[in-house]
Amino acid sequence: MNNSLVTYLSQFEIFKSLNTGLSSMLGSDASSLIAFTTFLVAGLIITLVMATVGGYGTYAERKISADLQGRIGPNRVGPYGLLQVLADGVKMILKEDVFPRDADKMLFYFAPLLALIGVFGTLAVLPFSSHLALADLNVGVFYLIAISSLVGLSVFLGGYASNSKWAMLGGMRGASQIISYEIPVTLSIIAITILAGGMSFSSLIGTQGGLPHEWYIFHNPFTFIGFFVFFVAGLAETNRAPFDLPEAESELVSGYHTEYTGMRFGLFALAEYIEVFVVSGVAVALFLGGYNLPIHADPNFFPVQLAEVGVFFGKTLALYYVVIWVRWTFPRVRVDSLMVICWKYLTPIAIFNLVGVAIWLVAFDGRSLFNLITH
Amino acid sequence: MFLNLLFIVSAILTIGAAVMVLVTKNIMHACVYLLGSLIGVAGLYATMGADFVAVTQLMVYVGGVVILMVFAVMLTGGKDHQSKTQKLLELIPNMGNKWSYIVGGLTALVITFVTFNIVRESSSLKINERVGFKSTVDEIGFSLISDHALAFEISSVLLVGALVGAAIIARPRKERQK
Repeated sequence: MNNSLVTYLSQFEIFKSLNTGLSSMLGSDASSLIAFTTFLVAGLIITLVMATVGGYGTYAERKISADLQGRIGPNRVGPYGLLQVLADGVKMILKEDVFPRDADKMLFYFAPLLALIGVFGTLAVLPFSSHLALADLNVGVFYLIAISSLVGLSVFLGGYASNSKWAMLGGMRGASQIISYEIPVTLSIIAITILAGGMSFSSLIGTQGGLPHEWYIFHNPFTFIGFFVFFVAGLAETNRAPFDLPEAESELVSGYHTEYTGMRFGLFALAEYIEVFVVSGVAVALFLGGYNLPIHADPNFFPVQLAEVGVFFGKTLALYYVVIWVRWTFPRVRVDSLMVICWKYLTPIAIFNLVGVAIWLVAFDGRSLFNLITH
Repeated sequence: MFLNLLFIVSAILTIGAAVMVLVTKNIMHACVYLLGSLIGVAGLYATMGADFVAVTQLMVYVGGVVILMVFAVMLTGGKDHQSKTQKLLELIPNMGNKWSYIVGGLTALVITFVTFNIVRESSSLKINERVGFKSTVDEIGFSLISDHALAFEISSVLLVGALVGAAIIARPRKERQK
């Protein structure tokens, strides 16, 4: 197995004694059972934490948008309105679960779940620190792209199953948009994969350093452009403004989740906010140095792990802020210009970047621009 | 033990969803069940240590083929076309009469025989014989550009052809409208 949470934990004495104790009690090797339980507990904790992050995403969205528009935003429930998320959650759960008469029942119930499966599936490889990643797959970033494509399908199925024109149009837009923007995202990721020489997040982040000049965004001019291509296309993939055409309020009421009420709508919203976090996290891991600390420290030391988690969350939440900032700054683009941006601008630029990075790698032996200037 | 458990879960998902694809009468539901079956196959690959193939399965089939099928079904009308296919069934006498059952049964027999032979021989081989969990990505990459370079290049030509063809079909034809 690769480096994962269990390999980190197994160096502690308590874990080892637990293993031997359980093995003697059961009469057989308990390491696989313990690994399973550890993954279960860790997965549960990470899912709950990310669900909270997603929930507070809605709060952050309202607070920041209020700030940008000179309003106050939610401030009644709890101090600074911090408990607004709880109030919203309770309201969502208590609401009547309305089901459109002619809707496709199975798909209607299945679509929000599919969105959550796709988003929570990506959490399995998201690197929070050098040891706190559920699994460091060899094909980590590839897996992430693959599993997150379930979200596109869920948007489409949600739109189809509602049996409503608004929802149908929103779903179609969502699916075509997500499929199209997967191309520039994947091409930008491939460029970084070439530089790092591996698709696992440990090799992608391990080849970067903690200081900005060691990050891949400043490695060479092509990756610098690549970051922005990735970020813009990532915004479109998560259906965020200015690319939130699948749920364009002014034309489609609420797009693919028009017919959803209560917690089913809540699941879609939660999936969207967690996906924004995941895309920001991937951008941080690929371009902004990930969890690397600016100082050299032993990664097996526990406070270092905490600091790495802090660095990762700090960078990711900063990008999260930018995403919300962009949403409340730019107007929504038209459908045709959306496709023009993807196919006529982002995709050619991404291909150009890919070729450029490959040439750079051969010409300068993989050294960064900073390295070339100083040496 | 854990890998066996995963294997059983994936196998049940694959077979169960595949049966549901056959049983269901709604073509949209069939697409979703097919999604489950394809994810199950990806799980089977993963339990056998073929991580790259498993993820490619997810990427190609879940992210591409199923969405394409759902798109096609929706754009061609989906449920409303059930009556037309029913008519088609009546038009072609070979579908649904005793001859079709005989031919279908024979085909099933042949396929079962072939599969049985494969399964019987493979029972002597062990899954997970790969020592450790080495990455298959490097091996696939090296063999793609060394041993299978010709196939790789030919498939790239094919893909370029498909891309150009799609662009030609989707191109707006202004001259004809005038």
